[in-house]
Amino acid sequence: MKVAILQMEGTNCEEESYMAFKEIGAEPEYLHLNLLRPGMLEDYDMLFIPGGFSSGDYVRAGAIFAARLKAKAWNELRKFVEAEKPVMGVCNGFQVLIELGLLPGTDGISDVPEAALATNESNRFECRWVHLKKERDSIFSANVPDRIVLPVAHAEGRFIASPRVIEEMEAQRQVVFRYIAPDGSKPDYPWNPNGSINDIAAVVNSYGNVFGIMPHPERAFFWYQHPDWTRIPRNRGDGYYVFESLMRIIEAKNR
Amino acid sequence: MLKATIVVKLKEGVDDPEGKTIKHSLNLLGFEPVVRVNVARHYEIFIDAPREEGEKMIEEMLRKLLINPVIHEYEVRVEEI
Amino acid sequence: MKLRKITDGVYEVSILNATEEELEEINETMGLALSIEEMKKMQEFFREMGREPTDLEIHAIAQGWSEHCSYKSSKPVLRKYIFGIPSEHAMIVMQDDAGVVEFDDEYAYVFKIESHNHPSAVEPYGGAATGVGGIIRDVLNMGAKPMALVDPLFFAPPNYDGKLNPGIKHPRFLLNGVVAGIRDYGNRVGIPTVAGMTYFHEDYVNNILVNAGCLGVVRKDKIVRSMVDAPGIKLVMVGGRTGRDGIHGVNFASKVLSEKSEEEKQAVQLGNPILKEPLIHVVLEANDMGIVYGMKDLGGGGLGSVVGEMCHAGGVGAEVHLDRVLLKEPNMAPWEIWVSESQERMLLAVKEENLPALEKLCKKWDVEMSVIGESISERRLRIYWHGEKILDMPLEFITAGVEYDRPFKIKKVERVQELPPEPKYHNVFLRILSDFNVASKEWIIRQYDHEVQGRTVIKPMQGIIGFESHGDASIIKPVHSSWKGIAITTVANPHIAKLDPYMGALYTVDEAVRNLVAVGARPSSLSDGLNFGNPEREEIMGEFVESCRGLGDAARVLGTPYVSGNVSFYNEAFGKNIPPTVVLMAVGIIDDIRAAVSSDFKRDGNHIYLVGSTAPDMGGSVYYRVLGAKSTVVPEVNINKTKELSEKLLKAMSRGLVRACHDISHGGLAVALAEMSMGGDVGAEIDVGAMQHMRSDFKLFSESPTRWICEVSPEHGEEFASLTGAVRIGTVSGDSLRIRDGARWLFNVSVEKMRTVWRGALRAHLG
Repeated sequence: MKVAILQMEGTNCEEESYMAFKEIGAEPEYLHLNLLRPGMLEDYDMLFIPGGFSSGDYVRAGAIFAARLKAKAWNELRKFVEAEKPVMGVCNGFQVLIELGLLPGTDGISDVPEAALATNESNRFECRWVHLKKERDSIFSANVPDRIVLPVAHAEGRFIASPRVIEEMEAQRQVVFRYIAPDGSKPDYPWNPNGSINDIAAVVNSYGNVFGIMPHPERAFFWYQHPDWTRIPRNRGDGYYVFESLMRIIEAKNR
Repeated sequence: MLKATIVVKLKEGVDDPEGKTIKHSLNLLGFEPVVRVNVARHYEIFIDAPREEGEKMIEEMLRKLLINPVIHEYEVRVEEI
Repeated sequence: MKLRKITDGVYEVSILNATEEELEEINETMGLALSIEEMKKMQEFFREMGREPTDLEIHAIAQGWSEHCSYKSSKPVLRKYIFGIPSEHAMIVMQDDAGVVEFDDEYAYVFKIESHNHPSAVEPYGGAATGVGGIIRDVLNMGAKPMALVDPLFFAPPNYDGKLNPGIKHPRFLLNGVVAGIRDYGNRVGIPTVAGMTYFHEDYVNNILVNAGCLGVVRKDKIVRSMVDAPGIKLVMVGGRTGRDGIHGVNFASKVLSEKSEEEKQAVQLGNPILKEPLIHVVLEANDMGIVYGMKDLGGGGLGSVVGEMCHAGGVGAEVHLDRVLLKEPNMAPWEIWVSESQERMLLAVKEENLPALEKLCKKWDVEMSVIGESISERRLRIYWHGEKILDMPLEFITAGVEYDRPFKIKKVERVQELPPEPKYHNVFLRILSDFNVASKEWIIRQYDHEVQGRTVIKPMQGIIGFESHGDASIIKPVHSSWKGIAITTVANPHIAKLDPYMGALYTVDEAVRNLVAVGARPSSLSDGLNFGNPEREEIMGEFVESCRGLGDAARVLGTPYVSGNVSFYNEAFGKNIPPTVVLMAVGIIDDIRAAVSSDFKRDGNHIYLVGSTAPDMGGSVYYRVLGAKSTVVPEVNINKTKELSEKLLKAMSRGLVRACHDISHGGLAVALAEMSMGGDVGAEIDVGAMQHMRSDFKLFSESPTRWICEVSPEHGEEFASLTGAVRIGTVSGDSLRIRDGARWLFNVSVEKMRTVWRGALRAHLG
């Protein structure tokens, strides 16, 4: 599986993402936005937009990345999505997918953003680990256990959309992960770290191939990246299972 | 030369944590009567184009980059300088 | 001041026949911050040359001779105590911009700590951000990938309600601004902030301290030196453009802060992390391709000091065409270009045949570059401006600078200790937990991304998710294929150092060792950030000398060299000086991160041991400050004991005997126990009766050095005690911390209550 890891100035989680894909046996490649030429995207099986602060998060987190990507390769990107090839964005990458109108994608692709990842309720960047509940299987979550922990690190992660969009998303079961309190109850701050509506942490589009997630699976790929490994033994980091899910599905498809 | 002044702010009803934090700080500094703060972004964009063309460009800029319609509303003023 | 125009933007300044008064006028008007002796030395030089200098030449000399660039007050002392501590593993020590130490057969680690105090006092957000940017470049220009940041900060208490001098901002404003600056820069550039400290002392009210450190890792064969040692090598500026920002930042850093500083905001540079991030890629990729001959970042002193130092270090000279420098704003005078401290710029030395490859890289990352000159065999500096020669001097004269053996006085403090009546333990314990130097720093720590790059395997906050408390050091795992880790911590104890700078320095080194050993790492090397008042005052110089003597004595015994460092003098304003503040960034090596230990209690029923001995020396302690009691009797450090005990504890850890470990520092034994309890969300029952005989409150709150608390499972207790000489003081149990001294109960506080008090104290005053 050839994975394009998109880069531009300010993306900064590309190395750990690259490592995660490499570890599961995919063939990741960095692809800088400045080097993106017509026809290049179709060479890849998957597109990955890593976290970071593309263009410093100026204007809005992810907005400049999205605008430049759209200007350069919108039609190709559409084709990529319509061909049901997987597209995944983590953190800033999720923000980019929202700005592109690829997520929540209640009806495929939207020309204007249908949601926003707004400033955290706490009004500050926070780096902390959160508990997540898996809401459904998808090519990004099939192998993920029902309850996992992952780190968040963002200032703009509060998922907002109109009641209509939220309703549609819920009806189509597009929410893949929700924040949850450690005892399984509905999370207050800090368990819902940003104030997202319906505790939404990760969503997939209606086709099931575009996935955006605020927490960072690539930073929890190995057991020793967990903050409590000196307390709880694990064989793998919880984020590993996101990548493993992808690999299994793609492999099965190619067979 | 055109000067476009664009103010992008959060729609009524969208929570504004930055505004709330600033309000809280102002109250702490002794400005107790402050009851609300809205934070907006103010852009001044200078365009070397005829008015009609310039206004069209601004529309496009807003759509392509400057706002997210889910949370933002905006005001635009264009003047010749 | 007499000027004669030579060409656009360049003037000849008449100094040959200037009187002392006229020299002073030139010094003042041009903002040189030189002493009259130095002005005379410059005059003498041009008299020998038989010509008047250009304004550029005068600025170039002032820059080279500034305290910041030349270390003119500190060098003789540093040479005597700090430099040249023998070490097996150190590779580059106190030569380039950062120290280089062997990590394993293939890799080396590179690190340094530096101050950015004065600019942060004037403009906290930009100043702190720039401090982070600068220290990253120091590591980057050794060819290393930056992997960790640290940020020790020093303020007056955030609830300070005394009078503020004109131009001085409230500590709460400064703290918020500095934290935001570090956050926005560090997070955006994608380097985790893994350690640091926020320290409060009233004496920082006029002068805050913002220190920043960075650690990177480089393959040994890819280490780049900050020198050019052959003629004909092209000098290329890469990164940001040059502007008027930060002009005279260096002289500014060497000046006593005053009311006027507000007007000197132009001396504060503004960093741009979104320019830096691609610049890091360009530099590291160029280095991977092997096309970087030499490299140095443009920090304090700008282009002037960088060209000078790089060529001087390699025994060559340089020819520079200033009109080829890319500018942010037109009409900059050559001297402004030469001394500008605009951020995000690097100077690369590159062979001519490799220029096209570098150009290609820069294009990919959208980074600008410009070839501004080349090295020449003659050891002179020649600068041209649109073809006209406007500077021609021997490099030696500019860069060698001056040195002073400043007179100093060591103050003798009489040893006295009040003996206050025994307190109400419950109340005093909670007051200590809410002391700003003890209380939770979580609000600050979590605003920094400590996870980016995915290498942070022991985090700054440790324990159950959502309940974490302070750890002693963080560990990163830098090489994917190896289990070896690097532990990083920062320490300082200005309260003790103010009473006794020598013992304070020993205590600081001891605490660095304690912190590293607490996570299971062997101390490897140190970087020293030395922050002091005005060295022209004999008692301040005395503090500096005593501190350096202490640092030297301690490190020699431990075999941990100072491989890099920074001196910040003139932290004085309105006649008040800061306490002597030795900040250490300490690095340790752990052979296998799987053996690392965190500070949170792990399991009900495990035994709790105290390693090390306790003495009733309460000088500088949080306890005495909370009581308002006086003591000048500071804790006594026996550095041989530090070495011996830490080796024993590491041995016990390597045998897997230790489940949790925490060093005892601010607030003493009681606070260390509380933090271990909060992190593990479990209580403990403690009997301090087994400790040496002394008052119960001293047992609980003494800050004696070289001590740790360890959690050990019952079956390993005997082995652990015989290895370390530790005494058992209790058991992990229940949901409260219950402490008695023999038959007498001292206090019982629930974990929940401790957490509320500890978390809330500082938080209430922030953001």
